Amino acid sequence: MERIKVKLHLNGWALISYVMVVLILLPTIEIILNLLKPVNENWAHIKKYMLLAYVTDSIKLTTAVVLFTVIIGVLSAYFITFYDFPFRKFFKWVLVLPMAIPPYIGAYTYNGLLSYTGIIQTTLRNRFGILVNQKYFNIMSLKGAIFILTLFLFPYVYLITKSFLEKQSATLVESAKLLGKSNIEIFFKVIIPISRVAIVSGATLVALEVLSDYGVVAYFGVQTFTTAIFKTWFSLGDVESSVRIAAILMVGVVFVILFEKFFRGRKKYSYSSTKIRPVVRKRLKGIKKNLVIMFFTIIFLFSFLIPTLQLMYFAFLTYKRVLNMSFIVMTLNSLALSILAAIIITIISLIIGNYCRINESNLSKIISKITMIGYSIPAAVIAISVILLFVNIDRKLKWFYLIINPNSKTLVLSTSIFMLLFAYIIRFIGVSYQAIEAGYEKMGKSFFEASRLLGQNTIKTFLKIDIPMLKPAIISSLVLVFIDIIKELPLTLLLRPFNFNTLATRTFDYAADEMLQEAAVPAIIIILISIVAISFINRFDKE
Amino acid sequence: MNKKIKFLSITSALLLSTSIFAGCAKIAEEKTPTQQKEKVVNVYSDRHYDTDKKLYEEFTKMTGIKVNVVEGKSDELIERLSREGQDTQADILITADAGRLHKAKEQGLLQSFDSEIVNKNIPKNLRDKDNTWTALTVRARVIVYSKDRVNPNELSTYEALTDAKWKGRVLTRSSTNIYSQSLLASMIEINGKEKAKEWAKGLVQNFAREPQGNDRDQVKAVAAGVGDVAIVNTYYIGKMLNSQDQEEVNAANKVGVFFPNQQTTGTHINISGAGLTKASKNKENAIKLIEFLTSEEAQKLFAEANFEYPANPKVEVAKLLKSWGEFKRQDIEMSKLGEHNKHAVEIFNEVGWK
Repeated sequence: MERIKVKLHLNGWALISYVMVVLILLPTIEIILNLLKPVNENWAHIKKYMLLAYVTDSIKLTTAVVLFTVIIGVLSAYFITFYDFPFRKFFKWVLVLPMAIPPYIGAYTYNGLLSYTGIIQTTLRNRFGILVNQKYFNIMSLKGAIFILTLFLFPYVYLITKSFLEKQSATLVESAKLLGKSNIEIFFKVIIPISRVAIVSGATLVALEVLSDYGVVAYFGVQTFTTAIFKTWFSLGDVESSVRIAAILMVGVVFVILFEKFFRGRKKYSYSSTKIRPVVRKRLKGIKKNLVIMFFTIIFLFSFLIPTLQLMYFAFLTYKRVLNMSFIVMTLNSLALSILAAIIITIISLIIGNYCRINESNLSKIISKITMIGYSIPAAVIAISVILLFVNIDRKLKWFYLIINPNSKTLVLSTSIFMLLFAYIIRFIGVSYQAIEAGYEKMGKSFFEASRLLGQNTIKTFLKIDIPMLKPAIISSLVLVFIDIIKELPLTLLLRPFNFNTLATRTFDYAADEMLQEAAVPAIIIILISIVAISFINRFDKE
Repeated sequence: MNKKIKFLSITSALLLSTSIFAGCAKIAEEKTPTQQKEKVVNVYSDRHYDTDKKLYEEFTKMTGIKVNVVEGKSDELIERLSREGQDTQADILITADAGRLHKAKEQGLLQSFDSEIVNKNIPKNLRDKDNTWTALTVRARVIVYSKDRVNPNELSTYEALTDAKWKGRVLTRSSTNIYSQSLLASMIEINGKEKAKEWAKGLVQNFAREPQGNDRDQVKAVAAGVGDVAIVNTYYIGKMLNSQDQEEVNAANKVGVFFPNQQTTGTHINISGAGLTKASKNKENAIKLIEFLTSEEAQKLFAEANFEYPANPKVEVAKLLKSWGEFKRQDIEMSKLGEHNKHAVEIFNEVGWK
């Protein structure tokens, strides 16, 4: 009897996972199928004038941003985990904050800061009569885009690497020390290799963010894959070819993901005992201490304090005109939507993660990779596929709507918030899954197996053993998704129901009309809310 | 144990607040377009001005018709409209570019409407020839020049900016921008494809820097001396001159506004306008709203708050625009901007206008 019951439970997990994966795949299938269609008359032009040049810049941008975010992220995680120095706790917390600033807002802000009318140049000009060469203050270039994206994306690497090192490395590092290895040797020979999984998964998130970014590159005039997609779609009016480019991008992303897999290899690190040994931090002294503090101060200044102060100044100029009752509604909309989506997405990740852990088959490996797909395609392309899917569902369900309400319109689901929620799931399940998967991987299977041997079923084990042990992973999944959604723009813009405004869409409204100072007001609220969310991670970290 | 309780309580608090918020969202949703008795009109718009919101409120007050809005980018809204097909809830499509309205019309998403009021309010050349859409406001794309370094007598036409004397002095936006595309589209209509391509090529050779940033950035770059002339929309100058930020005002004061092609083909204009969707379910209300938006009362607000030129000729332009004087406008059918858009983009790619 017991056996049969177990099987049924397993099938339940599997079934939910399959359904989820199919749902995630549905909108992307349209994109992939596009590759099979014959090319149309625009393709030659696109290939000749856009594709090659844009691909080169895309690769340059992505490689550089990944490289810099890994350097900054890993070094920060390393110092924070293994050393003690003044303000360590403060830096540990604030290094996550840049995530609260959407890169496109960062881009506008930095340009506002450095431009001819920005605070730096005006101070130099009006106070000291210094006229600077504009060339040195121009951030709108490929290099500028690398700078901006690095600043606001490195926390992904930092966060994932740090939480890995804190829990995993103590024993190994101590053994290495006992064997007389120097700190530098330990860093390169122990820390980097063991945290490879964490680093690579952080770097993957960064790479995918960069590949699908449109806000920063469009504003700076940098030409990337996304520019090509939108130029083809909007300017050549050729959705088909633009989806084809998106499909090529997807293929590229599959390579990135395979690359990650290759790097992970077969090695798995999981807890060897229930007690996680805390790292004993070494106190830094003298010049080393000062260097580390300087390193963190510079990063904190550029990635958070300076842009935030600038935005606050802008908001100060305009809040009287901009702020009104509708802001409360918008804030509530943003909060409700982000929290709800974060919870749904995290639950789905937990289910898929649990299934993949129990069944280590090729199928489960593929399933776990599929969750990343949505993260790699520019959101606007997802949005269009999702609309098509929902309009079709609505048309098929019309008979049902008519039973409930004889006067029902046809588009019920696709004019509701569900369409947007669904799109969020496709887009952000990857972020959540990365966090949850890392949690499961760390935990290993031994607790699960022990619990099952002691006669608990999968659901009980899941609720009583897995969930509590996964708590840090769950919290970071919730927070990461929450922050991503509260600042999310393209999907929200296109898929929202009538009269549904969020803080992000209002920021866009102003920014699109080149009213950056007005845009600062909703942007600041987004940042404040995200800070509160991030402090959750921290609270649970301490426990 | 304590931890567990804390975790549980926080989770349940989260869940509770979510369900409450979700409930709110749900209620808000139900209030929107579905209700049968309430008179509504549903708008897809890519204009995001506070003035527009005020006008919708005004309209509701006058007629009792509620205006529901989804704002977004024009191309994406058109795509949404087309995918929703005959089932769409949208009655009106508002875009800030004639080419986009034309594109929607070409895709069969708009329908003709005959309104005497609109015909009376808006001149014929600012309406679609089949009356599927009408202009609401007019924008002029002009040359701004550095008051210090350029004598306006040196300026004449867009075409003349390709002259060797402007080498390294011209600033524009990138070719992904619709304003750049429509300008070139108008050149294609007036001078033909070959000449237009030559012009684009010549201008690229005179660029002071790779195209980047928005219209305000071009004005600032002239003020900063990166280049001497820039091609921008008039209303951005208006907004900069009225900015809260004194430095923006100073920068805008450093440039002069020049209306090019006055002796020849006229200054390039574009419109923002409204079209009636083919699948409109509230056609009467929609036409009422469009009529209202073209009325003198509404047009006044467009003109004053946003420094756009009103499409209704009976309405006076804002003081600032008046001070720049009257100007001769490009006299081409607005829908041509849409027809040539694709060619314009191809030319940009071919001549390397980033």
